[in-house]
Amino acid sequence: MPARVEAIGGVNRRPVRQRLLWTVAGFGTLALAACLLAPLVGSTRISLAAAFDRSIPYAENIDAQIFFVARLPRVLAAALVGSALALAGVVFQALLRNPLASPDTLGVSAGAALGAMMAITFGLDFSLLGISAVPLASFAGSMGALAIVYGLSTARRRGTSAVVLLLGGVTVHALLSAVIAFVQYLADFTQTFRNVRWLMGSLDVASYAPIVAALVPLFVAWAGFATLPRVLDLISVGSESAAARGVNIERTERVALVSASLATGAAVSLAGPVSFVGIIVPHLVRLIVGADHRLVLPASALFGGAFLIGCDLVARTIVAPLELPVGIVTAIIGGPVFLWLLFRRM
Amino acid sequence: MLAAADVSFAYARRGAPDHRVLDAVSLTVRRGSVVGLLGPNGSGKTTFLRILAGVLTPQSGQVTIDGRPIADMGRRELARRVAVVPQETHSAFDFSVMDMVLMGRYPHLGTFELEGPDDQAIARDALAATGTSALAARAFATLSGGEKQRVVIAGALAQASDALLLDEPTAALDLGYQLEITALLRRLNQERGTTMIVSTHDLNLAAALCEEVVLLKQGRVVAQGGTEATLTAEHVKLLYEVDADVQFHPLAGHLTVVPLARTR
Amino acid sequence: MAAVPKNVAAIAVAVLIAAFTAGSPEGLRYDDTLARRSALVAQPFRAAPTDVPPRRIISLIPATTEMLFAMGAGDRVAGASNYDRYPPEAARLPKLGGLLDPDIERVIALKPDLVIVYDTQVDLKKQLERARIPIFPYVHRGLADITQTMRALGARVGAKAAADAAATRIEQQLAAVGARVAGRARPKTLLVFGREQGTLRHVNASGGYGFLHDVLEIAGGADVLGDLRKQSVDMSTEMILTRAPEVIIELHYSGEMKPEAFEAERRVWDAMPSVPAVKTGRIYLLDGQEFVVPGPRIVVAAERFARALHPEAFR
Repeated sequence: MPARVEAIGGVNRRPVRQRLLWTVAGFGTLALAACLLAPLVGSTRISLAAAFDRSIPYAENIDAQIFFVARLPRVLAAALVGSALALAGVVFQALLRNPLASPDTLGVSAGAALGAMMAITFGLDFSLLGISAVPLASFAGSMGALAIVYGLSTARRRGTSAVVLLLGGVTVHALLSAVIAFVQYLADFTQTFRNVRWLMGSLDVASYAPIVAALVPLFVAWAGFATLPRVLDLISVGSESAAARGVNIERTERVALVSASLATGAAVSLAGPVSFVGIIVPHLVRLIVGADHRLVLPASALFGGAFLIGCDLVARTIVAPLELPVGIVTAIIGGPVFLWLLFRRM
Repeated sequence: MLAAADVSFAYARRGAPDHRVLDAVSLTVRRGSVVGLLGPNGSGKTTFLRILAGVLTPQSGQVTIDGRPIADMGRRELARRVAVVPQETHSAFDFSVMDMVLMGRYPHLGTFELEGPDDQAIARDALAATGTSALAARAFATLSGGEKQRVVIAGALAQASDALLLDEPTAALDLGYQLEITALLRRLNQERGTTMIVSTHDLNLAAALCEEVVLLKQGRVVAQGGTEATLTAEHVKLLYEVDADVQFHPLAGHLTVVPLARTR
Repeated sequence: MAAVPKNVAAIAVAVLIAAFTAGSPEGLRYDDTLARRSALVAQPFRAAPTDVPPRRIISLIPATTEMLFAMGAGDRVAGASNYDRYPPEAARLPKLGGLLDPDIERVIALKPDLVIVYDTQVDLKKQLERARIPIFPYVHRGLADITQTMRALGARVGAKAAADAAATRIEQQLAAVGARVAGRARPKTLLVFGREQGTLRHVNASGGYGFLHDVLEIAGGADVLGDLRKQSVDMSTEMILTRAPEVIIELHYSGEMKPEAFEAERRVWDAMPSVPAVKTGRIYLLDGQEFVVPGPRIVVAAERFARALHPEAFR
C-alpha cells in the first residue's frame, strides 16, 4: 500500500473544488473525444464528408448509414452502458463497504440475465413502443431481483445493514443463477445459441429506440446518484460515525441500492451483461483521483463510458470483418488489470 | 449543557419480552466538563451514547442540549452540537488523513456544497491541535493505532461541536498510545473547554481524565458525582463485583484503581 | 425468429452440431460431378455382424429417418427421435429422445438390430456396443454427404437399389435446379439463419460453408460472406451495410409462420435502406423444415432458394 496518497501531481493537497474541476475537465475531455472519434473508426473506411452530405439522399448514402445506423448508436450505447455500470460499481462498493463489490454482486444483473433468457427460451413475442421482448423482460428481471434484495434488507432493521445486504444479495444471485441454469436446460439448441450470444454482450443496437428507452431508468438513477457522493464517503468510514454526523443512513442506503440497480438493469437490458467494467473502472479512477466519492462518481461515469467505447472499438476492428463480443474484450483487458490491482494492494 | 431526563430504551425481541437496556437514566453534564460513563458490559453505556448522538431514539424520556430537546433538532443541527469518536475506525477505501478530517465538516455544509478555505483552515487547525499536521497527506489506513485515533479526534474537532462523545477511546490502543490520547483529551478540554462524555471500561482512564463519573449497572444509574467521591472501592465492587484498592497516586496526580480479586 | 417449436429447432441443432463436429476443413462443394463422385464409394461403415438385412431399425436422426422412408424401408423403422415429423408415419413412431438426450434404455428395450446414431453420441454408442447392437454412425459435413449417406445406408439395410435410385433422383433434381438457373448472374445473397425477433440484433448468417451454403450455390446465389469459409457468422450492422447484399433470405424452421409475422419481420430491414436487397424489396422469409433436415427434402429447399433468387427462371 503506498504510504502517501500521492494522487497525480500531489492533487490531494489542493482543495476539492479545484480537484473536481480538473477531474471533470480531464475525464470529460476523454469521454468527449471517445464519443467523437469512435464513430469515425471501424472495419470499413467511410468518408465523413459523404456521410454528412445532405445532397445525397439518405437511402443511397452508405457512408451515412454506416455512420448513423451501424456506428453512432453503438458508440452512444457503449457510453451509456459503460457509464452506468461504472457508476453502479462505485455505489455498490460503497454500499457494501467492499472494494471488490460489483454490479453483479447483489444479483441484479443475474435477474436481468434471467429475464432475457426466459424471453428467449419461452419465445416471448411482444414489443412495446418499439422495444422488443428481450430487453423489456431483462429489465423486468433486474427489477424483480432488486425487489427481493430490497425486501430482504429492509425486513429486519438491526445490526450492520451492509452485511445483511451482502448476504441477501449474494443469496439472491446464487438462487437466480440456479434458475438460469434450469431455464437453459429447458432451451433447445437455437434458443441456447441465442442465450449464449446474449450472455456475451453486444452493443450493436442498430437503432436509437432502445437507447432512448434505457435513458428513462438511467435518468432516475442519475437523480439518485447526484445526492450520494459525500454521504458515501461518510458511510464508508462507518455507519455510526456517519449517522452521528447527520447522515440519514437508511434513506441513503435505499437510494444507493435503487439507483445502482436501475443503472445496472438498464445497462444489462440494453447490451447484455458486460463484465469487469463495474469493478475495474472505479479502481482505476481511484488510483488517479483518490477516494473522495465526489470525484470518483463523476470520473467513473465519464471514464466508464470512454472505456467501454474503447473496448467496443477493439471488439469490432481487431478481427475484422468479424467481431468479438464486447464482453470478451472487457474480460481480456479487465481480468489482468484486476489481478494487477489486487497484487498492488498486497 | 447537556441533560438526559428519565431516558429509557428497550430493544424489541421476537417471542420474548423487550430487552430493557436503559431504565430511567438521568444525568446532567455541565459545559466544559469531562464526564465518564462507567459500567460493565451490558450496562447500557454504548446505547446511551448512541442516544445522545441521535442515532437511537429512546422510548421515553428526553435528552436536551442547552434546554432544547434533541428530538426537535435536525440531524445536521445535532451533529453541530455533538461529535462522536468511536472506539475504532476502519475505512474501506484509501482516504487520506486530510480527507478524514474534512469529513467532519459535513454538518456545516449544504448537500452540494464543497469545503471552502474556511473549512480547510478549521481542518488544519484540528490537525495541529492533535499533533497530526505532518500526517495530512498520509493514507489513513497506514497509520498506527494511536495516530488513527488522533486523526479521528481531529475529525471530531473539525466538526466544531460543543461536545465530544467518546466510546472507549483507548480500548484498542497499547499503553503508550493510551497515555498519549489521555493527555491529548485533557489538553483539549483545558485549552478549548470542550465538553466531553467518555464511556469506558478503563477505571484508571476515567480517574485520569474525568472530573465526574456516572456509574451504570444494568441500565440504571447507581451513582454519580465527582470522581474522587464516587470512584470508590464500594462502587467498584457494586459495578464489577471485584475487590479493588482505590488510592490517590501522588506521582500520577489522580486516583488509581488496582483490581484484587473477584468477589463472586 | 418467432416462437420456434422446440422440436423443430432441435433438428437445427442436430444438423449444425453434427456438421461442426465432423469438421472437414473445406466445404464439399456441389458440382455436376457429384453424381460421379458419390458413385465412388463411401467410406465403409461398420460391417454388420451377419448378412441378414436389419428388420428393426432405430433412427435418432430426422434426416436418416426420412432417407429410410424414401428408400422404401420405412416399415422397418422401429423408433425415431422426438423431432421426427416427416413423413407422417414417422411422427407416429416411438419417440426416443434426440442428440443430447437419447433414451438409451428404451432404445435397447426395443431390441433393434441396427441403430443410427450421431457420431458424437459417445455414451449411446458405448452402451449399444456393450449390448452387441450394431450401429451406423452418421456424420454430416456438406451437401454431398446427403446422397453419400443415402447410398451407404441403403447398402447397409439391404435396400441398395431403391436407395441408389432415390439418391440419383435427388442428384438429378438438384442438377435440374442448377440447370434452370445456369448462366444467370449470381446475386450477392445474405442467408440469415436467425436473429433477434423484431430487431436487427444478433444476426446470424451463413459464412460460406456447410450444406445450406452449398444449396445456395446450386440455386444460383453467391454467398455474400463466402470468403469467410465459416459455418455461421454473427453479423454486425456495419458488415451488412458494407457487404451490401442484393438478396436477403431469412430462414425460419417451424413451418408455421403466419403472413403478418412475415410482413413485420421484413419491415425490420427498412433500417438499412442503402442495402440493395432492401431497396429492391428482395427480402424473402422462407419457413420450413427442409432447411434443417439434410435429407431428401433438400431438393425442396433448393427449389425455394432458386425461386427466390431467380424468379424469372420459373415463369
